Amino acid sequence: MRFPLRLALRHLMARKVRNGLTVMAISIAVFLLCFLIAVVQGMEEGVRSASSHRLVTQSAVSLFVDLPTSYQQKIDTIDGVHLTTKFRWFGAYYQDRKNFFAQFAVDHERFLDMYTKDIEIIEAPGGITGPAARAAVQKAFSNDRRAAIIGIGLRDDERFGFQLGDTIPLIPSLYPRVDGRAWEFVIVGVYRPLKARIPETTMYFRSDYLNEAFDNGEALGTHGAGVYYVNTDEDVQIDQVAEDIDALFANGPQRTQTITEAAFASFFVSAIGNLPLFLGTIGGAVLFSIFFSVVNTMMISGRQRLQESGILQALGFRPIVSTMLLIWEGLIISLLGGSIGILLAIATEGGLIRIFAQNIQNYHIGGSLVMLALAISSLLGIVAGLAAGIPFLRSSPTEALRSSG
Amino acid sequence: MSDDFITLKKVSKSYTRGGETLTVLDQLDLTITTSDFVALMGPSGSGKTTILNLVGGLDSCDSGSVHVAGSEVSSMSRSKLPSWRSRHVGFVFQSFNLLPVLTALENVMLPLQLTPLSAADRRKQADFALDIVGLADRASHLPSQLSGGQEQRVAIARAIATDPDVIIADEPTGDLDRSSADEVLQILGRLNSELGKTILMVTHDLIAAKQAKRLLELDKGLLVEDQQQEA
Repeated sequence: MRFPLRLALRHLMARKVRNGLTVMAISIAVFLLCFLIAVVQGMEEGVRSASSHRLVTQSAVSLFVDLPTSYQQKIDTIDGVHLTTKFRWFGAYYQDRKNFFAQFAVDHERFLDMYTKDIEIIEAPGGITGPAARAAVQKAFSNDRRAAIIGIGLRDDERFGFQLGDTIPLIPSLYPRVDGRAWEFVIVGVYRPLKARIPETTMYFRSDYLNEAFDNGEALGTHGAGVYYVNTDEDVQIDQVAEDIDALFANGPQRTQTITEAAFASFFVSAIGNLPLFLGTIGGAVLFSIFFSVVNTMMISGRQRLQESGILQALGFRPIVSTMLLIWEGLIISLLGGSIGILLAIATEGGLIRIFAQNIQNYHIGGSLVMLALAISSLLGIVAGLAAGIPFLRSSPTEALRSSG
Repeated sequence: MSDDFITLKKVSKSYTRGGETLTVLDQLDLTITTSDFVALMGPSGSGKTTILNLVGGLDSCDSGSVHVAGSEVSSMSRSKLPSWRSRHVGFVFQSFNLLPVLTALENVMLPLQLTPLSAADRRKQADFALDIVGLADRASHLPSQLSGGQEQRVAIARAIATDPDVIIADEPTGDLDRSSADEVLQILGRLNSELGKTILMVTHDLIAAKQAKRLLELDKGLLVEDQQQEA
């Protein structure tokens, strides 16, 4: 089919304001869509990247009930268990409640060995880099009870800007100090996550620092573990190990629930409601509303162009040419708007990560998302153009020529 | 090709408007020879434009047959008619019907998109058509930058760009002042006399009608007068 593409371009240029506004509306909608999809994908990526050889043991009553510290030694004895560490939520903040980030008390002598494949040490005392950095941090972690390892996000976020060697005060909300002062931690290492599951804005510190303060009466609280992270041997049935752990504590004093790290990550995603569905619904609504906006623009254009369809038919063009013209126009408008929206999403990626660091893990506008957004934009334009252009297929040349245009 | 270039046999056409059937053409017989210049006159609703639409393949008759340039247009499928129109018919409308977003040259080149000509040849042919109507120097102007007479001359250039056998003109001078109308009629006359184009023109203008070689008068779907005119 011969097709006067130039005519489509001229029509677009002839209505710059109307088409420009539509392009803007599409670009904002596509940007929002990219943002929402990237957030959902980030959550799912976190679940996907969980280790297949790691279990999480928590209280069968609730995640908010601590487990006895004595459990760790018993778990260590179970066949197939390679290494365990306590994780305890600390819940303090830096200077202002707005400056919140996650902190966990862990077993300092085990933590780094458990996360060899999950985190990379990028800053260590003495400027040591490479494979030796991990050992250097381990040494520093063991030497100072106040030692802490932070994620790269806490170094790069200007609200914190923590640097190696800094002593940082954190104001407690769960475990207040008797003297009313802040807890102090010394940064001995900076890590970069190697798995999407690991946040880059978390701080890990020594659980014995906490316990000693409780024992000395310097702070209010008791020994305990929020959860136990359990690395299993690679050649074992992980479900069997989980069953064995729970069986061990079936008669108390506290029953446990042991699940895979992936299931544990899924739990957190679902704990805030079905967020993927919620965000997907918002994204769908945005898309739906912008779809009607584009259809409306194209239908106005179509109504004004019925006479043109009659002229083209009189000249020998088939009615579908006018329909194709509108489809092309819809496609150009939506692809232009979609591309701007995608560029906007890519350009703001870094800024959004800084702003929403605690809320949107693994946020990334990847190639597949760009392709998806382009495909959605294209489909939007094609469907809108088709909806506006279908009347051309039904009208006779004489009817079209009689229309006022 | 026989001399009978356009033939309408027992053609009837009626429209239904508001539940009422209106017969526009009633068993009409009409023959137009090659290179004729025919003016169709008559009161509104007499069937003039309907004849143009039937001959141009824009509309279909209820009964009878329409032959143009050796083809039976009335039996042609809707899908074949556009291609046939592009090769055999050029249209000139009362309100010019140029596409406002295209320049004069682009408007003239539009029907040439349907030909197998190369882009360079299409351009050459469009330039030639504009030259025939005396608007070669207005090629890059948009319709809004042209006078009514110039617009109609561009429309004529568009109609002849593909070198069709017949030019169908529906009140081509209806929206023009006398001077512009005379220019347009002069061009149509030249197309008929110099290039041998068969022209079928509907008009209410007696001066325009006098330019034609043959004058047909219609009333209530019937041919009431058919006279040859002096050149």
